[in-house]
Amino acid sequence: MPFFQWGDIVTAFALFIAVYMVIVILFYTIILVISMIQLRKEYQLDRVQVYEDYMEEIYTKPVSIIVPAYNEEAGIIHSVRSLLSVNYPAFEVIVVNDGSTDHTLQKIKDHYDMKEIKKVVRRQINTKPIGKIYQSAIFANLFLIDKENGGKADALNVGLNFSHYPYFCSLDGDSVLEQDAFLKVMKPIIDSNEEVIASGGSVRIANGCQIRNGRIQKIGLSDKPLVVMQIIEYLRAFLMGRIGLSRHNLLLIISGAFGVFSKNWVIAAGGYRTDTVGEDMELVVRMHRLLKEKGQKKKIVYVPDPVCWTEVPEDMTFLRRQRRRWHRGLFESLWIHKKITFNPKYGSIGLLAFPYFWIIEFFGPIIELTGYIFMLLCLFLGGIYIEFAILLFLLSCLYGSIFSMAAVLLEEWSLTRYPKVSDIIKLFLYSLTETIWYRPLTVLWRCEGVWQMLKGDKSWGEMKRKGVSE
Amino acid sequence: MFNKELFSLSVLTISILCILVILLVYLILRKELDIRKSEKVENYIKKYNPLLFLMLTEGVYSRKLRPKTTLQKKAIEELLSRYIKVIEVTEEKERLSELASMYLTEYYRKRLKSLKWSTRMNTLYHIEDFNMISFLEDVYSLTKKKRLSHEERVHAMRILALFQFKQILQLLTTNYKHLAEYDYRHILLRLNKHQFDQFILYFHKAELPLQKAILEVISIKRELIYLPFIENITSSYSGEIKLRALKAVAQIGYVKNINPYLNLLYSAKWEERLVAAKLVGSLKEEKAMPRLIELLHDQAWWVRSQAGQSISQFANGQDVLRTVLETSKDAFAKDMAWEWLHKGV
Repeated sequence: MPFFQWGDIVTAFALFIAVYMVIVILFYTIILVISMIQLRKEYQLDRVQVYEDYMEEIYTKPVSIIVPAYNEEAGIIHSVRSLLSVNYPAFEVIVVNDGSTDHTLQKIKDHYDMKEIKKVVRRQINTKPIGKIYQSAIFANLFLIDKENGGKADALNVGLNFSHYPYFCSLDGDSVLEQDAFLKVMKPIIDSNEEVIASGGSVRIANGCQIRNGRIQKIGLSDKPLVVMQIIEYLRAFLMGRIGLSRHNLLLIISGAFGVFSKNWVIAAGGYRTDTVGEDMELVVRMHRLLKEKGQKKKIVYVPDPVCWTEVPEDMTFLRRQRRRWHRGLFESLWIHKKITFNPKYGSIGLLAFPYFWIIEFFGPIIELTGYIFMLLCLFLGGIYIEFAILLFLLSCLYGSIFSMAAVLLEEWSLTRYPKVSDIIKLFLYSLTETIWYRPLTVLWRCEGVWQMLKGDKSWGEMKRKGVSE
Repeated sequence: MFNKELFSLSVLTISILCILVILLVYLILRKELDIRKSEKVENYIKKYNPLLFLMLTEGVYSRKLRPKTTLQKKAIEELLSRYIKVIEVTEEKERLSELASMYLTEYYRKRLKSLKWSTRMNTLYHIEDFNMISFLEDVYSLTKKKRLSHEERVHAMRILALFQFKQILQLLTTNYKHLAEYDYRHILLRLNKHQFDQFILYFHKAELPLQKAILEVISIKRELIYLPFIENITSSYSGEIKLRALKAVAQIGYVKNINPYLNLLYSAKWEERLVAAKLVGSLKEEKAMPRLIELLHDQAWWVRSQAGQSISQFANGQDVLRTVLETSKDAFAKDMAWEWLHKGV
C-alpha cells in the first residue's frame, strides 16, 4: 500500500517538473528569438563610427561617475586612472570614501594632490554625515568625499547629492571600462530625446585578460573552470536575457557594476535604499513603479556593446557568498514591491516581468533542488526507469548547452570580443559539463541564501563590496 | 511499456545534439573565415598605405592602386577612414573626397541598395565622412523612399545638410516636419550661414521642435549677427521658446540694452531669473549687483548658485561675497557665498 502511494507522488511530481520545465524552456526560447532578431539587425554596424558623432556633440549630456570605495587601497588608483581617461567630453569622477579603515583616503589624496574645498551639498536624499570634500589640483573633474561608513547604497546617495551633472553612473571600484563605454551607454538616452531614463551596458569577466594601467590589453579566456562557467553564465544573462527583456521595457536589473541613470528620476524615486543587499535591482524596480504610477512612458534599456570588465570570484568560498547574497537581494527587491506581482495596473511589468522573476529566477533553484533530491530518493525507493533517467539527464545537459552556445553565437554576431577559434571550442566543451557540476552548485548556494534568509541570518548582509579583486 | 516515450525522447536528444554540432561548426567556420578576411585586409592596407599617403599629400596618382575585390575596397575604406581623422589641410581633404569617389563610388552605390540595414547605415556614414558630394542625388532619392528606417531618414537629411542641398528647408518643413529637436539640431549644425538664414526667416512658421533646434544652434554658434533676432524672440514669445532665446543671449554674452534683462532678474519664473543672472554675470553689469546679492537667497538652489557664480565674475566679486558671508543672516546665502569663495580650481 505505501509503495503505491509513493508511485502516485512520483507521477504527480514528475508531471509538475515537466510542466515547469516546458514553461521555462518556452520562456527562454522566446527571449532568445527576440534577442537574435535584435542583434541580427545591427549585425556588423560600424559602431565606432556611429559613436564618433556624439563626441563632437557639445550637447552630449555630462555624466557624474560615482565610485563608492570601501577599503580599496590596492585598486583605487588604477580605477580612477582608467576613469579619468574615458572617451567622453564632459564628466566628473566622484570617489566616495565610505569610512574606509585602510589607506584608501590617503592614497588618493597623495596621488592626485587633492585639496580641500568648501562646497554646499544639496541634501536631496538623506545620508550619513559627510566629512571633508576634496578636489584634485591636477584634474579639476576629480572629487573625493570622505564620509562615515554607511554601506555602498549610502555612499552612492552621497555621490548623488554632490554630483553636478544631470546623469550619473555608479561604478564598482574594481571594474575597468572600455574607452568608448560612456559614449555608447549614453547613446540611447541622447537618441531617444530623454525618453530613456536609465541605460545599462554589458558586464564581462576580466579574469584571464591582461590589464595594464586600467586598460584591457589582451582579452583571453581564463583557465579556471569556475571562471569559464561564469563567463558562459554572463554571456547568457546579458546577451540573451537582457536584450530580450529590454526590447519590451521589462528590464528589472541594471547591473550595479555599470549603468547610467537620469539623476532627476533617481532622486524622484528617493535614491538608493540602504537596507537591502540588492540596491541596484531595487532601484530599477522602484523607478519602473514610479513611471507606471505617474503614467509616464519612459524607458529603461540595456545596450549590449558598451563593456565594463570586472573581476569575478575564482574560488568556491567567495562565489558561494556572492550567489547567496544575489539571491537574497533578488528576493528583497521582489518582496519590497510584491504588490506589483500580477497587478494589471503595472502593465507588462506586473504581468510578465515580475512573474518571470518570481517563478523562474527566485523559485527556480528551489524547484530544481527538490528535483535533485527527488531523483536521489527515486534511486533508492524505486519508481523511475533508469533509461528514462539517463535520457532526461542527457537531454538537460544538451538543452542547457544549446542556450549557452546560442549566447556565444550572439556574442559573435555583436561584440566578437574573443579572438581565437580555440576559445569557442573551449566555451562549447565547458558548456556541456555545466549540468553535471556547476548548475547544481549554484542551485545549492542560492537555496542556501533562501535558507539563511528564513532563519533571519543577516551576518553576511553587511558585506557591501564584492570580495573579489586583488 | 514506455517504448514509445523512450523512442521520442531519444529522437529529441539526437536532434538537439545535431543542432549543437551544426551551431559549433558554424561558429568555428565563421571565426576562421573572419580571421582570414581581416588578415587579408590588413595585408592590403599595408600595401596600399604608402601609395595612398603619397596621393593625399602630394596629389600624385598611382596606377598601381586598383582595388577590385571587396576586400581590397574595404582596405581602401579603412585607410581613408584613418586619414580623415587626422588630416587638417583643406586641399588634402578635397583630395581624400576625390580618392573616395574614384575608388568607392560603385561599391557604395551597390551597398546603399543592400538588404541589410547595417550595411546601408555604414555606407551613409562613410559617404558623410568622406564628403562624397557625388552622392547628392542618390541620397536625395533615398529620402523619397517610403520604406526607410528613422535612422536612415535622419542620416540622409544630415548628409543633405552637409552638402548644402538647396531644398533642405522645404524638405524639413514638409515630409520631415515631425523630427525630434535633437535630430533637427544635428541637421542644422551642418548648414552654412546662407542656408541657416533661411531657417531664421522661417522661424515664426516653424513647429516647436524646429524652433527650439534653431535657438539651440544659435546658442552653440554664438554668433553676434543673430543677436537682434533672438532679442526679438525674447520679447515676442513666452514660455519655453522665450527661455531658450534668453539662454542663447546669455551664451553670446552681449546685449546693447541691458534694461529689459534687469527686469527679468525679478521674474516670477525661476528659470528666467537663472538665465538673467547668468547674463548679467557674463556682462559684469554693475547695475545688477544689488539684485544678484538678493538672489543669493533665492528660493531656487540653481538661482542661488548662479548668482554666486555671477558675482564671482565681477572684478570685486570676491569682496562682495566676503561681505555677504560676514554680514548676512541668511544661512543659504552664507553657504553659497562660502562655496564660491572656496571654489577650488
